[in-house]
Amino acid sequence: MSDENNSIVKTLANLPKNVWKSIFRNPLPSSDRGRASTSFSNFFLHIQPVRVSRQTLRPMYTMGLGLISFFLFVILAVTGILLMFYYVPSTTQAYDRMLDLRSSVAFGISLRNMHRWAAHAMVAVVFLHMCRVFLTGAYKTPREFNWLIGVTLFILTLFSSFTGYLLPWDQLAFWAITVGTSIAGYAPFVGKSLRFLLLGDATVGQEALLRFYVLHVVVLPAILTIVVALHFWRIRKDGGLAKPEEATVAPTPVPVTVTLEEPVLVAAGAAMVAADTAPRRFTIQGLVRGPFVKVGKLEEDTVFSWPTLLIAELVVLLITVIGVMAVSIFFNAPLEHPVNLMHPPNPAKAPWYFLGLQEQVSYSAFWGGVGIPALELLLLVLVPYIDRGKAGVGRWFARERVWANTLFLTFVFINVVLIVIGTFFRGANWSFVSPF
Amino acid sequence: MRTALAVLSLVLLIVVGVVVYGQFQSHWQDSQKEYLTQALAMAKTPAEKASLEVQEPKLEQTIVTSFKDARGGTIVDRCESCHIAVDDPRFDNGKEPVRTHPYLAELGDVEKNGHWERKHNFTEFGCTTCHDGQGHGLEKADAHGEDQAWPSPLIGYTIQADWDKGVAPHLKGKDYLQANCARCHTGKTFAGTPLVTRGRELYFKTGCFGCHRIQGLSSGTVGPDLSEIGNERKVDYLWGHIVNPRAYAPTSVMPQFKLSDDDRKALVIFLKSRQGTTLAESPMEAFKLNASTGAPVPESAATVAATVSASLSTSARGEQLINGYACLSCHKLGDHDGGISPDLSYEGLVRDHDWLVAHFRTPRSRIPDSNMPAFGLPANDYDDMAAYLLTRTTPPPAMSPADTFKALCARCHGENGDGKGVNAIYLDPAPRDLTLAEFMANKPHDRFISSIKIGVPGTSMPPWGNALSDDQVNGVFNYVWATYVKEKPRTLKPRNVPQVNPVTYSQQSVDRGETIFLARCTGCHGKKADGHGPNSPDISPRPRNLRNFAFINSVSDHRLFESITYGVEGTAMPSWLDYGLQQNDVGDILNYIHSLNKTASSAAIGN
Amino acid sequence: MGAAPKEIETAAQSMPRRRFLAWLSGASLVGSSLAAMFSTYVFMKPRATYGQPNRFRIGRPEDFPSGVRVAIDTKRVCIVRDGAKLAAISTTCTHLGCIVAPSETGFQCPCHGSQFDVDGNVTGGPAPKPLAWFQVSLTPSGELEVDKDSEIQTGTYLNV
Repeated sequence: MSDENNSIVKTLANLPKNVWKSIFRNPLPSSDRGRASTSFSNFFLHIQPVRVSRQTLRPMYTMGLGLISFFLFVILAVTGILLMFYYVPSTTQAYDRMLDLRSSVAFGISLRNMHRWAAHAMVAVVFLHMCRVFLTGAYKTPREFNWLIGVTLFILTLFSSFTGYLLPWDQLAFWAITVGTSIAGYAPFVGKSLRFLLLGDATVGQEALLRFYVLHVVVLPAILTIVVALHFWRIRKDGGLAKPEEATVAPTPVPVTVTLEEPVLVAAGAAMVAADTAPRRFTIQGLVRGPFVKVGKLEEDTVFSWPTLLIAELVVLLITVIGVMAVSIFFNAPLEHPVNLMHPPNPAKAPWYFLGLQEQVSYSAFWGGVGIPALELLLLVLVPYIDRGKAGVGRWFARERVWANTLFLTFVFINVVLIVIGTFFRGANWSFVSPF
Repeated sequence: MRTALAVLSLVLLIVVGVVVYGQFQSHWQDSQKEYLTQALAMAKTPAEKASLEVQEPKLEQTIVTSFKDARGGTIVDRCESCHIAVDDPRFDNGKEPVRTHPYLAELGDVEKNGHWERKHNFTEFGCTTCHDGQGHGLEKADAHGEDQAWPSPLIGYTIQADWDKGVAPHLKGKDYLQANCARCHTGKTFAGTPLVTRGRELYFKTGCFGCHRIQGLSSGTVGPDLSEIGNERKVDYLWGHIVNPRAYAPTSVMPQFKLSDDDRKALVIFLKSRQGTTLAESPMEAFKLNASTGAPVPESAATVAATVSASLSTSARGEQLINGYACLSCHKLGDHDGGISPDLSYEGLVRDHDWLVAHFRTPRSRIPDSNMPAFGLPANDYDDMAAYLLTRTTPPPAMSPADTFKALCARCHGENGDGKGVNAIYLDPAPRDLTLAEFMANKPHDRFISSIKIGVPGTSMPPWGNALSDDQVNGVFNYVWATYVKEKPRTLKPRNVPQVNPVTYSQQSVDRGETIFLARCTGCHGKKADGHGPNSPDISPRPRNLRNFAFINSVSDHRLFESITYGVEGTAMPSWLDYGLQQNDVGDILNYIHSLNKTASSAAIGN
Repeated sequence: MGAAPKEIETAAQSMPRRRFLAWLSGASLVGSSLAAMFSTYVFMKPRATYGQPNRFRIGRPEDFPSGVRVAIDTKRVCIVRDGAKLAAISTTCTHLGCIVAPSETGFQCPCHGSQFDVDGNVTGGPAPKPLAWFQVSLTPSGELEVDKDSEIQTGTYLNV
């Protein structure tokens, strides 16, 4: 009887420890083997490889732009979901709810500001990330498809920002979307149908608000999440971020002797294997091809993901969050006059990332709004299939790629100039004004 | 890296701390704490003290359920979160925002058994129903509507940053609240809205009703419909627009009426009270009112008809009507002068009955580019008014030519003869600039004498021949020549132009003329030949409206030929002979122009 | 990070520093997370709702003569006046939430037959608890205000 009692007491006493150990099966790593195994033992960490190239961790190489984009997306998702608890996508209630967020809702103003500035930042950072990838030649084989995925993400980001722009239902939102969807209407054949599909009506109204809301909070985030996941998967499968080539001539393989640091464990492992009487069967998981880190071939220039990569990612996350919060403390997101169907503002401007398009449209509706953007998009998409040269990967402004870089930067410069003109140099009736 | 991580984590903690701290500080809580402190000092019983001590600031909110706001949204007023003492009678000397809302008999509040009972209690009405402002806001700047993006700032209190500095001081004062009383109290003689009543009176007395439409009051079509102007515009726009229409709408033809500041205030309050469907009528009633056919007789017609006895003789009745119908807010007659339209003091000498009645009925039937609206008054009123004007037959006293000019001509042609008289911007065609020597010196004198004596049909130049003797006419003419033109009259070259159009009027001629016209003339005269071509704003004098049938039909073929072939010196009309137009071409053009002016209505289509 | 031996050396030298930095980072991040969670909770709790307010005015004491019981169904409260004493009793049945009506013996619930006396105590039927009494107070302007967010003990009257 007392034995039984003892065992009951012991079970209860061990309860917390057993609960903890059942959840956290692996201790925090303290050895290289432990650090290596984080990629296999933890769900969240298995997205990262065991080791990453040190070249790709250099801050000025990638500037962490891809990570910043992703973290901005996470910030947008979190703040967006919280805002959803108070926002109503109704033409009569939306504006009042925005007023509530600014006044009676605790932290409403902070969340809305963070959401707005993170959104603008994400469009800009995604674009800069695309520039970085291009200028370091990181779209070349085998990363062509990942480039396409990235272009898709860029379009999705623009579309998310655009759909969200309408939701405050103020003059700024209403007329910006009126202009933006009118530009979409210029597409040949499908233009009118596309516009009608987007708006759910002939003009921007309750239907458009509802559709844009659903697109913005459900459809686009879901698609974005999946495509982002695909983007990360591809990074892993492509062997990590693009890095400068080693010598072009494959070195003669030098046999490397690997000394394990923990001979004790090896012995213990061998003992375990010896003690195991049942024969073990191992099945081949798959054959892989390509420039992957291979067992036995230790690359000098790598570091463990745990903790180096993780710390780097955390630093980028903190910079992003602090940046967004700091801007949100000092700058309020705009809320203009409630929607007035009779009074289009003069001028009525699209969101800033579409102002380049609007500037082009002021010269030619079709070519400016549909033709040229379509051509630019097509060129972007075809870039990795046109530029098949293998040289210049992993370096900024590589001399081998001077033509490609110059061409790309020219397009970037033109688009930026168009946006600047559209923002600062256009006034009433789209006439030229001086911003000074 | 680890250092960076540690530092950034710390910075994050600080930033988060700042954000969290900020959200727990609010001005409305401070106001309530102030109130509680003062109420505690005033507390009489220990129980009251105890309950006040445990009281925490709470967000106060009124949701009005009986009616919605102008945008169809729910009225949610949080004003009492700061203005916590509005219903506490002990704070009538308090410092805002902790202050009692006044109890006033004119608001319907009654004093019973030593305490006041509020008629318009806040639970039912909220605050913004009467005061405007932003009910949702909890910061003063938001709640008072100080941001210029907010369409309805606190009326009579808040001035938004972009309001004209000259106008802004006039827009403060409790009187402005009457505009919102009228949301429910729509009665014409409601005691609580005297300025709305006065504004309505002025709306008729000043003649606004002629150009503007207000549901149930007037049906003018020249200016915008003002039935909902109170919802569409803020008080600064209303005031500023009345003072100087062109500062707010550059192409406006609205005159600058002579009004005192008190008059302007009443008008602004009246206009602000026009907010479409009032809260007093159901949507169905409003719909039925809107759908009723037949223009409403302008209110002043009914009012004036009531005051003017039918037993009066027609001209006496006409005199009272003219004063009642606000003619003198534009025209001059005797001592009253609106400063906008011609002087009617000698009307009996310069116009006849038919002209007057036709002009009353449709001003553009006599002066096609007149900016006088058709007021839509009963026909026999027009007869009586014409009868009265025809009694004005006392000619101007004998004066020196200079004085005659000043008395009769300067109103339009300007004190300096430069065509910039007080009326000038309201007249189309504009009064002739008599200092334009290039023009004046190249015309035959007979033309000017004729213009003075028989007037210029289709323009506001009346026939002075009956009011002035020939000597007076010549005297004025010589005075003008000496004082304003200042040039020796030139001997005019004889010009080879026919007296009568040699090209017979036919459809082919008209078509040919149209082709030439569209190729050559539209730059100034416009595609519709109405004088509004793309060049016209930059030319002085403006290109002629060739659809001014009254004018065109009074001008001889000879003159038209001369103008086209040899141009009009002193104006931008070139000599088309130099550009290759032959006589036949000009003849075709003449036929085309005449085809546009065959009937009054065919010309009016161009207008 | 160079060859393995160097790594261990530097690690040994900077271990306390690393520990301190790790602790600092961890503490700050945990602190920020807690602050964020707290803020989220405050955010989620509405400060202003659009529904019926739970604090409302019902009139002046003169509007409720002595001996009267006035049921205000829209507010689910019954005002009881006895001499100078005034109370507001909830008319939401404590069983499953129907509106009880005043009856000769007190209150009667039509849904499942719960019976209450004039003070709201249960006298029959399935109701588990007596009807709640709400705090009534006099505003400075002399009006009566009922606060359904504050329940008081049965039998506590306001003296008017």
